[in-house]
Amino acid sequence: MKLTGTYSLPANMERAYEALRDPALLTQCIPGCESLDLIGPDEYAMKMKMALAAVSGQFEGKVKLTEPNPPSSFVMLVEGQGKIGFVKGSGAISLKPSGDAATEVTYEGDVNVGGTIAAVGSRLIDTTSKMMIKRFFDKFSTLL
Amino acid sequence: MIPTQFDYAAPATLDEALGLLAGDGAKALAGGMSLVPMMKLRLAAPEKLVDLGRVSGLRYIKEDGANIRIGAMSTHHDLESSALLAAKCPLLVQTATQIGDVQVRNMGTIGGSIAHADPAADWPAALLACGARVRIASKAGTREVAIEDFFVDTFTSDLQPGELVVEIVVPVDAAGAKSAYVKVHQPASGFALVGIAVHKSNGATRIGVTGLAGKAYRAKKSEAVAADPDKAAAVVAEDVEANSDIHASAEFRKHLAAVHLKRALTSLA
Amino acid sequence: MATTTAPPITRTKTREPLVGKRIRRREDPRLITGTATYVDDLKLPGMHHAAILRSPYGAARIKSIDIAAASKHPGVVAVYTGADVKDVGPVPCGASLPGLRVPHHHILAQDRVYFVGHPIAVVVATDRYIARDAVDLIEIDFEPLDAVADPEKALAPGAPAVHPEWPDNTAFTYHQAGGDADKAFAEAEVVVKQRITSQRLIPTAMETRGVVADYNIGDQSMTIYSSTQIPHLLRTLVGLMLGQPENKLRVVAPEVGGGFGSKLNVYAEEALMGFVARKLGKPVKWIESRRENYTTTIHGRGHVDYYEIAAKKDGTITGLKVKIIQDLGSYHQLLTPAIPTLSVLMLPGLYKFQNVKAEIVGVFTNTVPTDAYRGAGRPEATHGIERIVDMLAAELKMDPAEIRLKNFPAPEEFPFNTATGLQYDSGDYALPLRKAMEIVDYMKFRREQDEARKQGKLVGLGISTYGEICAFGPSPATPAGGWESAQVDVDPTGKVTVYTGSCHHGQGEETTFAQLAADELGIPIDDVIVGRGDTAKIPYGIGTFGSRGTAVGGPALYYAIQQLKEKIKKFGALLLKANEVEYVDGQCIDPNTGKSVTLAQCAGAAYRAMKLPPGETPGMTATYFWEPPNFAFPFGAHIVLTEVDKETGRIDIKRYVCVDDCGNILNPLLVDGQVHGGVAQGLGQAMYEQAVYDDNAQLVSGELMDYAIPKATMMPWVESSHTITPSPVNPLGVKGVGEAGTIGCSPALVNSVVDALSPLGVKHLDMPLTAEKIWRAANGAN
Repeated sequence: MKLTGTYSLPANMERAYEALRDPALLTQCIPGCESLDLIGPDEYAMKMKMALAAVSGQFEGKVKLTEPNPPSSFVMLVEGQGKIGFVKGSGAISLKPSGDAATEVTYEGDVNVGGTIAAVGSRLIDTTSKMMIKRFFDKFSTLL
Repeated sequence: MIPTQFDYAAPATLDEALGLLAGDGAKALAGGMSLVPMMKLRLAAPEKLVDLGRVSGLRYIKEDGANIRIGAMSTHHDLESSALLAAKCPLLVQTATQIGDVQVRNMGTIGGSIAHADPAADWPAALLACGARVRIASKAGTREVAIEDFFVDTFTSDLQPGELVVEIVVPVDAAGAKSAYVKVHQPASGFALVGIAVHKSNGATRIGVTGLAGKAYRAKKSEAVAADPDKAAAVVAEDVEANSDIHASAEFRKHLAAVHLKRALTSLA
Repeated sequence: MATTTAPPITRTKTREPLVGKRIRRREDPRLITGTATYVDDLKLPGMHHAAILRSPYGAARIKSIDIAAASKHPGVVAVYTGADVKDVGPVPCGASLPGLRVPHHHILAQDRVYFVGHPIAVVVATDRYIARDAVDLIEIDFEPLDAVADPEKALAPGAPAVHPEWPDNTAFTYHQAGGDADKAFAEAEVVVKQRITSQRLIPTAMETRGVVADYNIGDQSMTIYSSTQIPHLLRTLVGLMLGQPENKLRVVAPEVGGGFGSKLNVYAEEALMGFVARKLGKPVKWIESRRENYTTTIHGRGHVDYYEIAAKKDGTITGLKVKIIQDLGSYHQLLTPAIPTLSVLMLPGLYKFQNVKAEIVGVFTNTVPTDAYRGAGRPEATHGIERIVDMLAAELKMDPAEIRLKNFPAPEEFPFNTATGLQYDSGDYALPLRKAMEIVDYMKFRREQDEARKQGKLVGLGISTYGEICAFGPSPATPAGGWESAQVDVDPTGKVTVYTGSCHHGQGEETTFAQLAADELGIPIDDVIVGRGDTAKIPYGIGTFGSRGTAVGGPALYYAIQQLKEKIKKFGALLLKANEVEYVDGQCIDPNTGKSVTLAQCAGAAYRAMKLPPGETPGMTATYFWEPPNFAFPFGAHIVLTEVDKETGRIDIKRYVCVDDCGNILNPLLVDGQVHGGVAQGLGQAMYEQAVYDDNAQLVSGELMDYAIPKATMMPWVESSHTITPSPVNPLGVKGVGEAGTIGCSPALVNSVVDALSPLGVKHLDMPLTAEKIWRAANGAN
């Protein structure tokens, strides 16, 4: 499933680029994220608890930041596994200035879902993914 | 069905229920038409189910001055078969008849449905269109919110932990009011690919849309030009990021919303 | 010596025959009151419960499995993985084709999984909740691999190999030709080509599969209760898998809640439960969840076909070329590769043309195996030929009824040999079509259609005419024998039990076979019961599938009764001290004296055996194994009237008319029921159902929330009627009707919608006809 979107962040490109790669900030902003622990260069082990409507599940996985091109782009790889299924996603994140103190962030991602969560149709997954990304950026903007 | 292990409580009073729900890991069971299928797949694994089925005083439909008060545990069938609603707020009857199937309507409740905030459920469209309010109770007391503030996001309502929907309040239709709920069924689940509720009363038109976006919404741009069905249809899905799945693309959902809004407005003209 | 004899007394049959009557199903009261016994209703003393861990990946390597936590979970009795069962024989494939590649199909995955749902480990526990909880405690380290779910993508160079040993993903290619298709196409005045698909479907029997296995340590005998259509074949094949002698293996099919072909199989879990029961010396039960049913029980169809038809300008069809790409899934189940060969046999439909060239490419994909689903290969072929004939008619601007009538063999041309080597025995194929046209008032509709089109309405009429290969079948043409068995027992008190080897599971033979036996024995229907589904009670039988229950099982029963009647008459003559007696209305009558004895008296005498007729044995039972000389060939026509809403893509079915010729009808009520149910499943394929796998081979229509089977409220009123051409191949003149509705439905419906949309330039639509697909086609964005 393809996901794309654009958000505006209240910071200049350098600051936004740095923040988007800051594990402490990411931990606070990824919905349900409980911890991100460095396990290699730009690679983190992630624990996540998802709770949405009646659905709830724990995921363990990895976040990896690759193809750094500061301050304008990088790629984020995320994978998580839990009893209710697995999620694997990659997102190309690009930044461009929008005035002096704002940055426009565009993501183009591909999310693959498997296991039981995949069985209940794309409706849940599509709308949920969009909502989680929105929540991420909303919180991110606030904390930035 | 083989869900994970859970504790089960069937309180008899609202106070008792709110006490049980105050703890962590408790989930209200208000019909179970959405929760139980998720438990079956183990996508939902609540530690404790608080069954509201035996709580007294939550299942009623009664007139109260300019309002009709609907207890949260009223089943879809209760609304479907209510003579009071047929006379004073027929939009809800029309909507109820189109929910799921007979078994679902016999078990599912209006309070359970809106608390679940499924973006393709039928009630949100109708309640948005008729300007409902939701009464919410918790150990701390009772509050009331407008339906538009109740639906926050995908599967996310304004309900806070420990809170429970206890009543839905809808205004009695003014003389000469007209309404319609039109729906395109998703053929497997019966949920709305798109559902449009239109309520015309005292010269104002309110339009609720479900199935189309991440949450049900009021199509205010369409309401403003409701006298012209074509114009209203043209803007019903404007700026909406529409849902897309194996049953219908975003483009088709938007198209269906426009067609059915136009048809509904034309039929009510 | 002169003797005076009384004038012979003749007695005519006084009771009205039950055969041919609309008799309600005798099995229904227990089914609708919840008092029938299904597999899940069985509770054996000390029974354990099993739950199965299945792959969440379409393709992955299993790097390690850790069962420690699951094994220690309180209540868990045992956990078995692929290593424990590697010596159990493979899940069998009964089909043989030249050069067929058969992957070794272990009952639990070894070091690799091939589809979402692939069983990996089984947990056995003291209750089913504990077993399921412990499944979640098994830790598996997977290395996900690229997977492919689309058969055409699987054939493309560089596609992920489903089985690494066969990188081209091709299980087999198969060619069949009749006549000279190349010449026909070279000489053709018109050629029409179309890619036509029959999408993958999920059979969705109301009762999912389930198995209870029991092992008696004392005598080392095993009993397997399974929701199956084929108890005897299962006994043979599971016995071989487990090395369990067949005479120490009993298979029972209790009440079976629907099969539609999905239980015409031998599944890993049937052997796995036998393995567990023997290992533990305890009975064990496994009941499939709906989610498991969707990801492990066979799917149906899965065709991508390329059709080319050649014809003269006058509409005479001269040849057909078809390439079938069959999505096989990841493994062969019992008949997987054989199913598309039935499509090839059926390609000529009801038409005369003699030049056919067909190719099948059987493709492995990372999906659930496909196999027989209601119609099994014949709906796919019928859909293809009936679509392409409609397209040919459109190309030639001919009436679609006319082109069909022009190409049927004439009644005097029977027996008719088809281009694919079948011999159609009898019929008048124009008859059901003309009758259906009469019912819908065809010419009037066409006039009204012209008018409606002028007003911008999209109304359509779709025809399908179809033949079927039914009553499987002559043994040489089947993988496992095509005969059927029957046994008739009369108790000493005169009550009758008939046993049939055809293991009906909803078709209603408990009623029709009782009608038949009651008529033949001249006794009340309440004196007859019909036994089935237990290898300990019933002579070896084949099973119910391929519209064979009545058409092959029925004649077996008929002949068994005839045999028994001879014995009854001998005992009657003995008791009446007559030379010869007549058997009428359940009594043996001496025509000379008018004296009679009842069936019960004859049976009593046969068991008491104080005296035996010359050369006769005690007891009152007869067994008959009947081998059919040929298939049966039902035929018929469906006509569907539709109106399409251009703005919403909604299809409104205005009328649904079907005329089926299934030969003689034992019970019209049951035949109607079969046709209605068949139409429902055809309609499901035409309009709603599709098994959707994503690019990673995840089944996204994996629950009934997303897989749209038609509900009662989505069904049109089905106007069902018949023409009757008795089959010449069996004494009952019956042909089989289980699959007719499904086979006739989908092309008629699609033809109708394409006809409705034809003013907009639409020539073809693939199934399912979702609202969005119709809307796009109607608005020029096909």
